[in-house]
Amino acid sequence: MNTKKMEKDYLLHKWLNNEATPEELEQLKTDPEFASYIQIATASSGFELPQMDSGANFEAISNKLKPVLQLHKPNIFSVVWKVAAVFAVLLAGYYYTTTLDTSVKTEIAQTETFSLPDNSEVVLNAGSKIKYNKKNWDNSRELSLDGEAYFKVTKGNKFSVKTVEGTVSVLGTQFNVFARDGLFAVACYEGLVSVAFNDTLLKVSAGSKIQIENGKLAINETVENHSPVWLAHESNFENVSLPIVIKELERQYPVKITLENVDSEKRFTGSFTHKNLDLALKAICEPLQLHYKIDKNGAVHIDAKNSK
Amino acid sequence: MKEPENVCNENIFNRLYEAHGKPVWRFIYFKCGDTAQADDLVQEAFIKLWQNCAKVTQEKAKSFLYTVCNNAFLNEVAHHKVVLRHAKRQPEKTNFHSPEFLMEESQFHEKLKTSLENLTEAQRTAFLLNRIEGKKYAEIAEMLNISVKAVEKRMSQALATLRKEIGNI
Repeated sequence: MNTKKMEKDYLLHKWLNNEATPEELEQLKTDPEFASYIQIATASSGFELPQMDSGANFEAISNKLKPVLQLHKPNIFSVVWKVAAVFAVLLAGYYYTTTLDTSVKTEIAQTETFSLPDNSEVVLNAGSKIKYNKKNWDNSRELSLDGEAYFKVTKGNKFSVKTVEGTVSVLGTQFNVFARDGLFAVACYEGLVSVAFNDTLLKVSAGSKIQIENGKLAINETVENHSPVWLAHESNFENVSLPIVIKELERQYPVKITLENVDSEKRFTGSFTHKNLDLALKAICEPLQLHYKIDKNGAVHIDAKNSK
Repeated sequence: MKEPENVCNENIFNRLYEAHGKPVWRFIYFKCGDTAQADDLVQEAFIKLWQNCAKVTQEKAKSFLYTVCNNAFLNEVAHHKVVLRHAKRQPEKTNFHSPEFLMEESQFHEKLKTSLENLTEAQRTAFLLNRIEGKKYAEIAEMLNISVKAVEKRMSQALATLRKEIGNI
């Protein structure tokens, strides 16, 4: 009985799977239970479903996909763009910082010694400024100077110091450049430097010094020293107008100096120390027959002795 | 060697919708009995197919769709009654049925319809896929991701339940 039932079950599934022969179907129908199954199954096949609206659903899918697609693609691109933007900023920053001019500046009463990328040495006197480009240094050894500086140049290609007063070019030497307020002085201690100013080109050989005032060559003579005196904390002037000397004094000492009733055409030759203000004032005033006094605020007043 | 093409192509995608849209929709309908829900799920399944188009080959698309629907259905809470309509598709063998017979027949259909609607989701889906869609057990097993033996069991259970509900005929 049980095996018979199992056999009929097998046949039923065979029939439901549409694989039974008509004979097998007839055999099933002899059993009332299975006959009713067949009736139910047959009748069930006669039912229908509501129909899907294929077009409407496809439209809905397309509409839902549109924003998804639009959001998707720009997203991928925006990520790429973000990465690219970060790299661009980094690159620009790197480029900017590496090509940026390096500048060295000294305040009043301060000197600064530093090396250039080719190991050339620069000593910057007080109140001066040097600007140069590290990145491009190997191609062009060129710097701009405002003030006074001493250079020990390593041998190599042309080394140029640009100032408002003129340009100094060398090959490998030690020299000093002073360029302020219309006074342009170049002293060469080793090798040979060429000085260009106002369409004039001058060669300054070792142990010589030139001084150009307001575009005109004023002095061309030899120097005794092996390095500029300001490196030994002294300032040395030769036939220089007083205001320039006073300004230098103001650069070496943090004082305010006023000239009263003093002929600014007076010219000074000599040197003054950077270590003692009183001594320095004396060194300037006495040869020029000037009188100075320091008030309680520390300001210096200089006036002509005979005007008193 | 031809690379198995994925479905990231509008033409292929459209063809897949033509081929599988309606069967998938009916499959969902057997499960939930709600046309609106069937619409939603069929849309979701095809949207997922498009979003994952790079990972799905054309051969895998069909099973992908059914898997998505099965999973979605597991998450769906709302189960509705299946609303069926008798189509009277059976060929009229005879035209000389007595009015009593016709009456009985229509009563029988009414009872069967109610009973079908009351079957459990598992029994109903398998039974109607076989009866209305004409699917073989192996196909049903694949769609539902169950074994053929499990399909057999569900079919037997469905028939037994229906017979009991309708009463011995």
